[in-house]
Amino acid sequence: MKRQRLIGYVFIAPNLIGMIVFMLIPALFSFYLMFTDWVFASGQSPHFVGLDNFRMMVRDDLFVVSVKNTLMVLIPVPISILIGFLIAVMLNNRTYLQKTLRAFFFAPYFTSGIAIAFVWMVLFQPSKGPINAFLRSIGVADPPLWFASPDTAMYAVLIMMTAGGIGYNMIIYLAAMQELSSEQLEAAKMDGATFGQLLRLIIFPLVSPTTFFLMITGFIGSIKGFGMIYAITQGGPGNSTTVFSIFAYKKAFSFYEMGYASAVSWTMFLIILCITLIQWVGQKRWVHY
Amino acid sequence: MDTRNSKIIRERVIKSINTIIMALASLLLLSPMIWMISTSFKKPKDVFTYPIQWIPHDPVWTNHFKVWMTGDGFTLFYFNSLKISIILMIGAPLLAALAAYGFSRIPFKGRDAIFLLYLCLMMIPPQVLFVPKFIMFDWMKIYNTHWALILPGLFTVFGVFMIRQFFMSIPHEISEAAFIDGAGHFRIFFQLFLPLSKPVLATFAIIDFTWTWNDYENALIFLLDKKLFTVPLGMQNFMLEAGVDYNMMMAAATAGVVPLLIVFFLGQKYIIQGFSSSAVKG
Repeated sequence: MKRQRLIGYVFIAPNLIGMIVFMLIPALFSFYLMFTDWVFASGQSPHFVGLDNFRMMVRDDLFVVSVKNTLMVLIPVPISILIGFLIAVMLNNRTYLQKTLRAFFFAPYFTSGIAIAFVWMVLFQPSKGPINAFLRSIGVADPPLWFASPDTAMYAVLIMMTAGGIGYNMIIYLAAMQELSSEQLEAAKMDGATFGQLLRLIIFPLVSPTTFFLMITGFIGSIKGFGMIYAITQGGPGNSTTVFSIFAYKKAFSFYEMGYASAVSWTMFLIILCITLIQWVGQKRWVHY
Repeated sequence: MDTRNSKIIRERVIKSINTIIMALASLLLLSPMIWMISTSFKKPKDVFTYPIQWIPHDPVWTNHFKVWMTGDGFTLFYFNSLKISIILMIGAPLLAALAAYGFSRIPFKGRDAIFLLYLCLMMIPPQVLFVPKFIMFDWMKIYNTHWALILPGLFTVFGVFMIRQFFMSIPHEISEAAFIDGAGHFRIFFQLFLPLSKPVLATFAIIDFTWTWNDYENALIFLLDKKLFTVPLGMQNFMLEAGVDYNMMMAAATAGVVPLLIVFFLGQKYIIQGFSSSAVKG
C-alpha cells in the first residue's frame, strides 16, 4: 500500500514540479510584488508599500479607460453565443451537408490568430479596404475609419471578436443538442408549436447549462484576450483599445513598473472572479439542469 | 398518399433552402480567409478593386516567392515555430497523461488537495504570471531563448483535465485483470492506457499545436532576438516592414495559417469531438 502511494507521486511528479516552478511560485511572487514599489532595472530592491499601488491605480486615467474597454469586449460574447446557437439549431437536422457546413463554420475559429488579425486590419483599411468599399457601394457616404480612429477602433475589434467566436459556440451547442432526447421536441411539434416557440420554450431551456458554460468561459476568454488586439493596435489609437491585459502589459514591459503591473494583473484576476461568481449566483434564474 | 408526398416534398424544399442560407452564412464567416488567399495571388493594382475579385483575374505566385525568398527571416520564423510546436505537441500530452493516470487511478495522500490546487491555478490569468516569469527566466538564464517557451509549455492544466476525464471512463476491470497478471502501474500505463487513449491524446496534441502555433504573448515577452522569433511575432515585424505591400502581407498571413488548415482538415473528426467533449463534460 505504501509503495502504491509512492507510485502515485511518481506519476504526477513531473507535471506537478512544472506547475510549481512555472505557475505556483510565479503566482506567489507576483502576489508579493503587488504590495511593493519595485521597478525593474532601477537597481533598487523592492519596498513594501502596502496598498499604495491600488490607490495609485484607481486614480490612473488609464485604469478607468481600460475598465471601460474591457467591459466593451464583453459585448461580443452574448452576440456570438446567440448566433452560434441559431446556426447549431439549423445544422442539427434542418439542413443537408451537415458535416461540411459544420467544418465551414468551425474553420474560421480554428485558424483565427495573429495572421487573421492582420487580414482584418487590411479589410478595415479606411480609404480603399473592401469593407468600406462595400459600405460606400450601398450608399454610406462617410464610412467609419475603423482602426485608424480612436472613436471607431473598438467597433472594429468587436466585429473581429464576434466573427471569431461564432464557430466555437456553434460546435459546443451542436454537441449538446445531439445528446438531447428528441421526445420533447416531437411532442411539442405534435401539439403544433411554431418554430419560434420550439426554440424559446424547449430547445433554449434544454441547452441552458451549455449557454451558462459558454458565457462564463467566453467572458473569461474575452477579459484575458490580448494578442489579436495588441498586434493590430498596440492599444491605440490613443488608448482607445487598451483593455485590461494591455494595460498590465504596458505597465510591466514599457515602464518596467513591476510592482504596479502586478497589482493591475491581480485586479484583472479579481474582475474575472467577480464576473464568474455573479454568473454563478445568477444561473439559478435561468439554467435548468 | 398525395398529401403525404407533398409533405415530404415541402420538407425537402425547406431543408434545401436552409442548406443554401447556411452555406451563404458560412461563406460570409469564411470570407476574410478567402479574401486573404485570393489577395495573396493578386497583383498590387488588383488588391482593392471593387466589386471584389474573389478569384484573381491574373493570378501570380510572386508574392509567395517574395515572402520566403527576401531573406527577411520568414523561413527562420517558420522553422522556429515548427520546432517549438512539435516538441510541445509530443511532450505536453505525455506529461499530462502521466499526471492524469496518477490523479485518476492511484489513490494517494493529498491527491484531492493537489487536484484542487490545479483547479485554482487554472483560474489565474496568464498576465499575472508574466512579470515574475520574466524575472525568473532572466535569473535562470533562459530569457531570450526558446526554452522560455518550451519549458513552461510542457506543463498544462487543461491537458491533465482532458485526459483524466477520459481515463476515468476506462473500466476498472481492465486494469484489475492486468494487475492479476502481475503488471505494475507503469506497464499498465504504457501498454494499456496510452494505446487505449490514442484519440484523446491526438485531440489534445492538435489543440496544443494550435495554441503553440498561435502563441504571440509569450514570444512577445520572452524573445528579443529577431532570429529566435516565432511566426506570430515575426509576422508582426514582417507586416510593419511590408508597409503597404498588401499582397505580400496576405501571402505571409496565408503562410501563417496553412499549418493550421492542414491540421484542421487532417484531424477534423478528432478536433470537433475533442472540443465538444472537453466542454460539455468537463
